[in-house]
Amino acid sequence: MMDVKRVISSIERKFITNNLRKEERIDGRGLWDYREFSIKTDTIASAEGSADVLLGETRIITGLKYDIGVPFPDLPNEGVCTVMAELLPLASPLFERGPPDEQSIELARVVDRGIRHADCVQTKKLCIKENKAVYILFIDMYVMNYSGNMIDCGSVSALATLISAHLPEGTWTENGPEWTGKYLTGEMIVNELPLSITYGKIDDIIFLDPSLPEELVCDGSITISCTEQKITSIQKSGIATFSFDDVKMLSKKSMEISKDLRKKFDLWQYKTTYE
Amino acid sequence: MTLLIKDEYPEKLFREDGKRLDGRDKTELRPIKMEVGMLKNADGSAYIEWGNNKIFAAVFGPREVHPHHLAKPDKGILRVFYRMATYSVFDRKRPAPGRREKEISMIIADCIKPVLFLELYPGSSFELFIEVIDADGGTRCASTTIAALALADAGIPMRSLITSVAVGKIDGELVTDLSGIEDKAGEADLPTAITWFNEELSLLQFDGDMTLKELETLMTYAKDALTKIYEMQFNTLKQKYIDIQEGINQKTNENEKGGDN
Amino acid sequence: MSDEEEVSEEYNNFEEEEEADTARELVVPGEILTDDIKNFIPGRGTIYSTDKKKIVSLHIGLKQISKNYINVIPLRGLYVPQPGDKVIGIIVDKNPVKYKLDINSNDFGQLKPKNTIKKGKPMGRRMGRPNYRDNRQSRDDFSTDKFNIGDILIVKVLSADRLNKPELTTIGKYLGKKHSGIVITIDPPKIPRVIGRDGSMIKMLKKLTNTRIFVTQNGRIYLEGEDLVHERLLIDAIRKIEREAHTVGLTDRMQAYIENEKVKRDIK
Repeated sequence: MMDVKRVISSIERKFITNNLRKEERIDGRGLWDYREFSIKTDTIASAEGSADVLLGETRIITGLKYDIGVPFPDLPNEGVCTVMAELLPLASPLFERGPPDEQSIELARVVDRGIRHADCVQTKKLCIKENKAVYILFIDMYVMNYSGNMIDCGSVSALATLISAHLPEGTWTENGPEWTGKYLTGEMIVNELPLSITYGKIDDIIFLDPSLPEELVCDGSITISCTEQKITSIQKSGIATFSFDDVKMLSKKSMEISKDLRKKFDLWQYKTTYE
Repeated sequence: MTLLIKDEYPEKLFREDGKRLDGRDKTELRPIKMEVGMLKNADGSAYIEWGNNKIFAAVFGPREVHPHHLAKPDKGILRVFYRMATYSVFDRKRPAPGRREKEISMIIADCIKPVLFLELYPGSSFELFIEVIDADGGTRCASTTIAALALADAGIPMRSLITSVAVGKIDGELVTDLSGIEDKAGEADLPTAITWFNEELSLLQFDGDMTLKELETLMTYAKDALTKIYEMQFNTLKQKYIDIQEGINQKTNENEKGGDN
Repeated sequence: MSDEEEVSEEYNNFEEEEEADTARELVVPGEILTDDIKNFIPGRGTIYSTDKKKIVSLHIGLKQISKNYINVIPLRGLYVPQPGDKVIGIIVDKNPVKYKLDINSNDFGQLKPKNTIKKGKPMGRRMGRPNYRDNRQSRDDFSTDKFNIGDILIVKVLSADRLNKPELTTIGKYLGKKHSGIVITIDPPKIPRVIGRDGSMIKMLKKLTNTRIFVTQNGRIYLEGEDLVHERLLIDAIRKIEREAHTVGLTDRMQAYIENEKVKRDIK
């Protein structure tokens, strides 16, 4: 709706805030409504798993690649999972070319922590030979269009990518790791289904899933990631402050919302099956 | 350590029945699908699926030059940034741009400049971003082809469109549009691009070995393929607007048939 | 001044919108428009081919013939500032001597303080000498304290050429800072469609949605309605006009659309 290239205007700020006070949002949503999600998986032939996810107009295409490497000394029988994010200049005139900046690092790290602490990926299953050979998984997120709330879009994209995984299965031989001819699929390596739920705050009003104009006007935001049972990570950013009661309320809401989303998405439908 | 599945090249690039490994005839193009205007934050954009290639292009401009010292007082500048996603290739690519990407960026920029009127935009810049999401041979050709569409989509005046395709030689036979395997395992690869306003070649590279006779034949193959792809570009640009008009016609017909509700 | 007269006066600088009876032909860059170069010459958006035997299009747009000129009206493209144009700008930067405005063009516009202060007439005579109190130069004439970054201003283009950034002014009728309302941006070439022939489209939009609308040359539209639902309806309608700008029968269709939507959304 709004046209935001560089600076958000003072009347837009006023417009958004005044309407939020009436619990109305500029795109007609309620304070606790998500925009529409759209998920497509395994679209990249060169990758060992991929997902193309839209949240409203925000679009992130994620791919999974792997390497075989030596494990960390303190985790000798566990594989490694790393998350990277690139905010492509294609996606918005607000994104500059060049190496990842604060915003893309924050996106990668928040999505990473949501997955890591949920024990989402069974890293023990990614071990070929203790101390010698483990899988290193690269989850690389590319933001193709920026229209607010990259974190929630990214977390669904990363999770769907892992579920769609089809990694060649390795076994240890005297010549090192070799392919068994079979595949490790998402079904085998994904354990939990963590989702990130992000809220924006303007003045004293809190709302779910900020769209682009809302995000640019926001004083701050808070992201709460959870699985069916537990809260696995929280990130507050921006200059807004949240009361203790607010945090409790939002945590409870996040558990409920993520439960509903999981049911709606039916994420396991995206798993790859190989004969 | 190495990957579990090796990137091996097949021994033969033709099947028993004489067709190429993906079932194509020698001068047959892979399936191509193009679209414009899907990236709303850019001034112009286009997307292509060419075989297994999946590539986005977006253009910003004319706008202020950053960094300012690159601005030219007498004409605008065009900068192309061709990049590949880490997961677009079999062996994960490092995220930072490499020398190949920088070379291709420059070649595409030089290819496009002849159709633009840069002298109309002194002190301004045009920036064209190309992101390869999935690569399978001929990415620079597919990228150039949609670069032209993205520029047209942005309303930037152009002398004409540009079309690009690669021809070459595999297992001794001359072919059109090499796939990834054919490019790697074949004997010659000749990417070309034509600027239609003067019907001349604006992109031309060659790797491999061929005779003079083979070169002449390949030029003919290229011209034929370029003409076919040009028609697809033409239709893609118009399709967006035709679809809207047809949607309206359909609604009007439905209203007329259904009577007054 | 009645609403009708106001609209006509506001928009008499704008390009005359010619709504065609049949759909105009859609052309792309490089497409041949004619090879009859004896009878036609290249107009807007067109050029002679390299061999000088044909006229070709420079843009994606609609082919239009006016007398013996062949024109192409582009469907998209950035705004090109012309002196006298009224545009909506947003202040993106300021320093002590000038404001920098984003006017949806390839160049930023400049607004100098002297072009933001309306000078008054002398206030009459006092002690035998005319009192030019209002004309005394005050600090305001030189400082950029009046407006801030993020402010939306309706400005007029004073001058624009290739060597200098467009110069703007807020002095004039309908010009100045906007304190409330919304601004949306559409492709500048589609603005004439939002106005319509003799202002027919914009008058209809104003009346049916009960909003104040101000359309400017650089593709930006200012609107302020009685509440969010009316404003949202108007924005949806304008986006629909933008999308269908190249089709025929648009004004009637838009009227039907708005009336239907008002029923659907339960608005008066």
